[in-house]
Amino acid sequence: MTWPLLKASNIHKAYGDNEVLKGVDLEVHKGEVQCVIGPSGSGKSTLLRCLNRLEVPDQGYVYLDGEPIGFGWVGDDLCELRPAALARQRERMGMVFQSFNLFGHLTALENVTLAPRLVNAEPERQVVARARELLARVGLADKADHRPDQLSGGQQQRVAIARALAMQPEVMLFDEPTSALDPELVGEVLGVMSELARDGMTMVIVTHEMSFAADVSDKVVFMDGGQVVEVGTPDQVFRHAQHARTASFLTRVL
Amino acid sequence: MSSATFDDSVTGKVTGARSEPPRLATAETKVHRLKHPSWWVGGAAVLILIGTFLRLLFTNENMKWDVVGDYLFHGEILHGLWVTIKLTALAMVIGLGLGIVLAIMRLSKNPLFQSVSWLWIWFFRGVPPLVQMVFWFNLATLIPEVRLGIPFTDVVWHTWDMNSLMTSFAAAILGLALTESAYAAEMIRAGIMAVPRGQVEAAAALGIPGRKVMQRIVLPQALRIVIPPIGNDLISMLKFTSLVSVLATPDLLYSAQMIYSRNYQTIPLLIVATLWYLVLTTLFTVVQQSVERKVHHKPLLQVNRLGFNPFRSGKVVP
Ligand SMILES: Nc1ncnc2c1ncn2[C@@H]1O[C@H](COP(=O)(O)OP(=O)(O)O)[C@@H](O)[C@H]1O
Ligand SMILES: [Mg+2]
Repeated sequence: MTWPLLKASNIHKAYGDNEVLKGVDLEVHKGEVQCVIGPSGSGKSTLLRCLNRLEVPDQGYVYLDGEPIGFGWVGDDLCELRPAALARQRERMGMVFQSFNLFGHLTALENVTLAPRLVNAEPERQVVARARELLARVGLADKADHRPDQLSGGQQQRVAIARALAMQPEVMLFDEPTSALDPELVGEVLGVMSELARDGMTMVIVTHEMSFAADVSDKVVFMDGGQVVEVGTPDQVFRHAQHARTASFLTRVL
Repeated sequence: MSSATFDDSVTGKVTGARSEPPRLATAETKVHRLKHPSWWVGGAAVLILIGTFLRLLFTNENMKWDVVGDYLFHGEILHGLWVTIKLTALAMVIGLGLGIVLAIMRLSKNPLFQSVSWLWIWFFRGVPPLVQMVFWFNLATLIPEVRLGIPFTDVVWHTWDMNSLMTSFAAAILGLALTESAYAAEMIRAGIMAVPRGQVEAAAALGIPGRKVMQRIVLPQALRIVIPPIGNDLISMLKFTSLVSVLATPDLLYSAQMIYSRNYQTIPLLIVATLWYLVLTTLFTVVQQSVERKVHHKPLLQVNRLGFNPFRSGKVVP
């Protein structure tokens, strides 16, 4: 068996007495799209944030292409990485947040170019050219000079996707990217994501958009109470759920 | 409409209750606006006060406007003006620099940094700048020498004499800058906290190192938010510099005092100093407003959420 591109094994995370993740495993192969669904509070965001170590798991490890995130092997021991080295691992995973989190003082173009500029030793012209290309790809070529407050929610989220893509990540993590959007703006963001999926991007998507999940996923992961209850193809999970908890969640949301 | 009803509207008795059948107002309907007699009475009183004041200003012999004119551009005064500007600028730059460091320490996860910053702010906000200046000026009686070496050993590379190090100018700068650092730290901390935490996470997820996140994302937005209160501090600082006259630092006020101690033209020279302070304050205000206009864009609305003193931040909010 080949190693998955992204692998989380036995992730535990508690906030005080609140055990949020109780030993979660996840395996995402290159080019795969996995949607994580589950009731609110089940630990989906926490899991996603553990993947790129925005949250530090209490137990368990995340591996990207076989490399433990946040650690380096020294002989047979794991040594925690310095922030700069962790930052270099994080570059390889793009993340898109529910609340967009664009840099408020920068234009759309500057939002996209900032990280490559600060992190990569790339010529400025190349960075800008790629940023413009990415903005065009998310349909915002004409908004390059707009600030976040001059953009709609859907446009902001598309800039955020372009910003994450600018670092040329190997995996994209999406945490409910359309939950903060007005219903009529959801489509434009899901459209961009479907296209990414079609282009072969490896993606982990936390979402409540069930029909989108059914469309784009190779696998659907159902989480409840800090555990992965069920993993399967969309058909297996949505039509032939093995667990009562999955079935009852689906009847509530569908 | 009868005049009785009209009076009722003045005394507030018109409640909107209707006894007559409803009708539409037309272009011909005569409309009586509320009159404001107190506006005129108050206005007249203020005019009289202004007149009296102006008469005092221009007919009172002791004002001696000709003396004011003679000294307005006097060499000593201009030198004092320059010292005042230098004091203001230096104290402000040092104060803001320290303030940024203190704010970051205050928000750091290290409890030692947090408490040192807290203590510093508590102390320098509590001790009047005048007391500090006198204290710093007399520091030599407490610490006669400054030694550069390895602490807690006998190794000393260089020694300075505190008396020659702590000039009145240095003591003045210290007193002003340290006070400002405490106020600036609190403002900048509020500014930093106003930058949404999600932006920091987004930057971290992009692989931008922490120091760069602070420099390129958090501080630019935080400083934008605190420009108006810092502008106010700049103007306060200008006025606080006049305290240095107690250390015989030849600033604007002290230069004026030196001259009137020789020629006894106290009031005219105080007017000279006053005029220059007003000129500088006006200048600073103009600059502050143009800077504010330049960096002004919507995210500044977030100021409201951070619980700044509304009188300080009120100006930013459109
Ligand atoms: N930073 C935090 N501090 C304390 N509790 C948290 C924190 N983040 C999340 N939680 C708790 O963890 C649980 C799971 O949250 P989350 O992962 O956001 O769930 P989901 O994304 O599935 O809705 C919730 O009970 C939430 O209150
Ligand atoms: Mg969530």
